[in-house]
Amino acid sequence: MGHGKYIAPPKALYQVQAGEVLELAFVVLPGESRDIDVSVDLCGPGAEAHLKGLYLCKADETVNFRIVMHHKAPGCKSTQLFKGIAGGQAQVRFDGVIVVAPDAQQTEAYQENHNIVLTDEAKVVTKPQLEIYADDVKCSHGATVGRLNEDELFYMRSRGIPEAEARTLQMLSFLSPVIPEGREEEMEQVLRAL
Amino acid sequence: MLQIQNLHACVEGKEILKGIDLHIGPGEIHAVMGPNGAGKSTLAAVLTGKPGYEVTEGSIRFQGKDLLAMSPEERAWAGLFLSFQYPIEIPGVTITAFMKAAVNARRKAAGEPEMKAGEFLKLMKEKMAFVQMKPEFAKREVNVGFSGGEKKRNEIFQMALLDPVLSILDETDSGLDVDALKIVADGVNALRSPEKSAIIVTHYQKLLEYVQPDVVHVLKAGRIVKTGGRELIDAIENHGFDQF
Repeated sequence: MGHGKYIAPPKALYQVQAGEVLELAFVVLPGESRDIDVSVDLCGPGAEAHLKGLYLCKADETVNFRIVMHHKAPGCKSTQLFKGIAGGQAQVRFDGVIVVAPDAQQTEAYQENHNIVLTDEAKVVTKPQLEIYADDVKCSHGATVGRLNEDELFYMRSRGIPEAEARTLQMLSFLSPVIPEGREEEMEQVLRAL
Repeated sequence: MLQIQNLHACVEGKEILKGIDLHIGPGEIHAVMGPNGAGKSTLAAVLTGKPGYEVTEGSIRFQGKDLLAMSPEERAWAGLFLSFQYPIEIPGVTITAFMKAAVNARRKAAGEPEMKAGEFLKLMKEKMAFVQMKPEFAKREVNVGFSGGEKKRNEIFQMALLDPVLSILDETDSGLDVDALKIVADGVNALRSPEKSAIIVTHYQKLLEYVQPDVVHVLKAGRIVKTGGRELIDAIENHGFDQF
């Protein structure tokens, strides 16, 4: 795992106070298995947390995310976007929970987890959950597991883009919202080898 | 340039093409017309190597090479281009990135250096102007949110940029209004030359009013049932495909 400025440690509890903004990025590259267990408590009014995650795994690697976003105070906002690609016989599990406490009114909380599997043997289990105990909230979550689009692939090949490069382009475009700034070329190299 | 001999092809085990013979010389434009379900799009798909289409018999030679042994990208490098009936959307990839990858892949395959950024952008600009595509499309994601006419125009733009030896236009005229049709036709006509050929696949005659084919084939139930000149277009216009 890289240790850029915003790269979060694998296990942690963050407490975000009134008016503070927390930004976390998670990057898991091929060649390692990871358990990432992070809880964020939004403790004071107007606190915000924005999480982004990118994971690429191959061979028999396992990547497990457990993310708990706890809205404890009113008027807090959280966003989460996690995207990853699993090849080989890799196993990915994503458990994401958003908890909105009874007095956390005017909460805004969003969570997305999207995955691409490259092989029949790779496995992704994604489980986003909402536990909402307040009534004035805006919350949504979404999760997908899919394959690289074959029609896109053929369209690119028909224009002369070799299959491997077309796949890399597809993966890059899928991941682009979660690639940390300045690491685009590094990711391209990693994806070529995936 | 292109010799198709006794071509049989299946999709999901069902035979769609049942023995096609077609010879196209340099500089010729051939129209392939036929009712829905005749196998027109299957022929275009087999020519470009789309996965899922199985050739069970016959051969295709393109400029002396065995086309069926080549991957879709190798066919593109050799100068084959398909204008898709339903152009594909590629979210996250801009037209500029897409075409740059295509141009440089072909140069790489030919052992040439990559095109310089400035040179490429100039070429893009020139070809976009040629098909009357607004400059801001260069930064748009490929076909995402495009109207039907914009998608077809984008196909002709790609064709102009990649400068193929043999272009296949698969129902490029469907869903186009007259103005868009004229732009497409102008694009195709401007690319005519003694070395370059085209196959225009269509089920109605509209585009053929603007792009005049040298040879017209009628495809029906997987076979070419009639070959002739432009008089066939009128015959189809007046009496439909049942006469063949």
